[in-house]
Amino acid sequence: MERTSHRRGISRRDVIQTAAAAGVAASVGPFVHVRPAKAAKTLKILQWSHFVPAYDKWFNNEYTKAWGEKNGTEVTVDNINLSLIPSRAAAEVSAQKGHDLVMFLSPPSVYEDQVVDMTDVYETCIKKHGKPIDLAVKSTFNPKTNKYFAFSDSFVPDPVNYRSDLWGEIGMKPDTWDDIRIGGKKIKDKTRIPVGVGLSAELDTAMAMRAVLYAFGAGEQDAEGNLAINSKNTVEALKFVTALFKEAMTPEVLAWDPSSNNRQILAGRSSLVLNAISVTRTGENDKLPIHEKIAIAKAAKGPVRRIGLEHVMDCYVIWKFSENIDGAKKFLVDYIDSFKDGFMASQFYNFPCFAGTVPDLGKTISNDPKAVPPDKYAVLSDVLDWATNVGYPGYSNAAIDEVFNTWVINTMFAKAATGAETPENAMTQAETAMKAIWAKWKERKLI
Amino acid sequence: MTAAAEPAGRAARNKVMARFIDNERLLWPALLAPAIVYIVLLVGFPFLLSIFYSLSSATVATSDIHFVGLENFTRIIHSDTFWRSLWNTIVLTVISQFFVLVFAGILATALIKDFRGKWLVRLLILLPWVAPISLGSIGWLWIFDSIYSIINWTARAVGLFGEDFWPIWLGQPNLAMAAIIVVQIWRILPLATVIVLAGLSSIPQDIHDAAEVDGAGFWRHQFEITLPLVMPITLVAVLFGIIFTFTDMIVVFVLTRGGPYDTTQVIASWAYFTGIQGGDLAGGAAISLFLFPVLVAVAILFLIAARRSEVT
Repeated sequence: MERTSHRRGISRRDVIQTAAAAGVAASVGPFVHVRPAKAAKTLKILQWSHFVPAYDKWFNNEYTKAWGEKNGTEVTVDNINLSLIPSRAAAEVSAQKGHDLVMFLSPPSVYEDQVVDMTDVYETCIKKHGKPIDLAVKSTFNPKTNKYFAFSDSFVPDPVNYRSDLWGEIGMKPDTWDDIRIGGKKIKDKTRIPVGVGLSAELDTAMAMRAVLYAFGAGEQDAEGNLAINSKNTVEALKFVTALFKEAMTPEVLAWDPSSNNRQILAGRSSLVLNAISVTRTGENDKLPIHEKIAIAKAAKGPVRRIGLEHVMDCYVIWKFSENIDGAKKFLVDYIDSFKDGFMASQFYNFPCFAGTVPDLGKTISNDPKAVPPDKYAVLSDVLDWATNVGYPGYSNAAIDEVFNTWVINTMFAKAATGAETPENAMTQAETAMKAIWAKWKERKLI
Repeated sequence: MTAAAEPAGRAARNKVMARFIDNERLLWPALLAPAIVYIVLLVGFPFLLSIFYSLSSATVATSDIHFVGLENFTRIIHSDTFWRSLWNTIVLTVISQFFVLVFAGILATALIKDFRGKWLVRLLILLPWVAPISLGSIGWLWIFDSIYSIINWTARAVGLFGEDFWPIWLGQPNLAMAAIIVVQIWRILPLATVIVLAGLSSIPQDIHDAAEVDGAGFWRHQFEITLPLVMPITLVAVLFGIIFTFTDMIVVFVLTRGGPYDTTQVIASWAYFTGIQGGDLAGGAAISLFLFPVLVAVAILFLIAARRSEVT
């Protein structure tokens, strides 16, 4: 006999059926894609949120849109915080899916197996614009495998930013590292305003400490890529930073993130920082009066040489699993053709890796309408004479990449500077860590 | 299909469905299955993958992975940073959970009482738990900032800090560790409070009434009635707190990135820096696996203790 329920309510059966339907919908839903109508081809780009927002505005809203229309391609640009790029890249490689073009801010050597060779992109650009700068080659080429694992369109100089008023009062200019120590101490004693060179686990410190290391004739490796951190010159560099920290700085540099030095000097709390021109550009754009007191100088000279790092090295990679490898390569070649626009949009932040794309660079930066004085940035016109790559005098390779990203050099300097370790012990500890890293990457045949 | 056959087919399908839904021997495994599938996919699979990676030469980019035995573990235990990270993880967890337990007890005891605006106080206490950890940590980053620290400026304004006293909260190892502990306490406290509050609410009022008739005072209530009865659920709160603190890397990543000079590095952050930023996936997996035996041991101990302290 058929049983009929006369109750008007929700039965257990209803609850289970509804729950099961909802569960199935929730599980399957995310995998159902409704594809909207769009261009025949797509190009997905992942890069950082630029420190100069005007660049992103130009790149995202003007350049890529115009390029997309011309090439029948829908271009998508995703801008993310610079510190999230490594984890995002790792996730894309793990999933073997993601963007077609990914821009790193330092040479991504460890990804060499996952990226396409950029030799043909370089060759095409060389035919049009001449040779790329040595800095670009050293940052994107692996001599061991004879492969360009990335393509560098531009780099960002890392000059000295200093308070001309404070340094003027003591009658000095920060031309050498000794000047910075002696003058920095004088200013700190007089005004309580310290020097702001980072000693933390972050990008700016990584660059600043390498600048000291190389200026003192030391380095992580030699020109052939052999580990070379253990040297008298490294100990001298460590002793120097220890003195600089004790005499002219405060412990706040031990806690910094990449934007801390910008904030410190713009707040009037630092006499000198090592940074890109984003410091003064922020001051100019936000109309902070202090920007007029901040001057730019070449990288400081050490006992062995005058040398500084690139502050940021734009390194584009194309994954092997990219869905539009040819489109990505063409985009890069076309972008280099239009690089002058990018240079201007970045407000002289991004310097060209193909010097021929901005032939009048010296003249352009010598007359900046926003800068006070207008020739403030003229000092950067010979930047290639004193800027170098991470891993100098060798190439940026997988071991250099890991040492850079696990802050081994930063930690070595911070330990010595604070007295947590003697300079010799700090160097030995760094060497132990680096030996393991070198051994690993040698075993994996990337160095 | 004819019009008559259609209702017949539907009736047959309904009959099969009804037989399945009304059969409890079939129904409970079916209801449990989604949870098991979820755990296997989101916990079991990544865990097994970690073990596989830790015994291999995997990097974030290599496609040629081969077995290297315990090489990654050997390399890790010879690293000073690893031992420092392990020690920091334990110190951070123990100290933060001690304070969480004390504060959660106090807050729950206060919140069980009736007073005006109780809902608002409860809401405010719950907020840190509702907000994303990264967002809260960024807020704390500004609170501890070397230039703009609201703590320093307030203390100076009220005369607590003199002209020459300006602590750099995240730039000195002990202060940086203390700052991280404070943020972990702030983060875990709401959960612990809610759990202890639930425990307190479950104690029947007649037990308290009987004790009061027998002349028990506040402290006897606390130590001879309340504490034994809420102990099992409190241990669960502590277990959750330990797991969340032990495995968290966001607070350290946002506040100090392990600095100054690795003195606030914890196992989870060191695994991230090695495995993702440094590209050594195998090394990162091996570091993170050190969390597993510790957490299993803690979980077993606490569950046994909770079972033994149950008042029947």
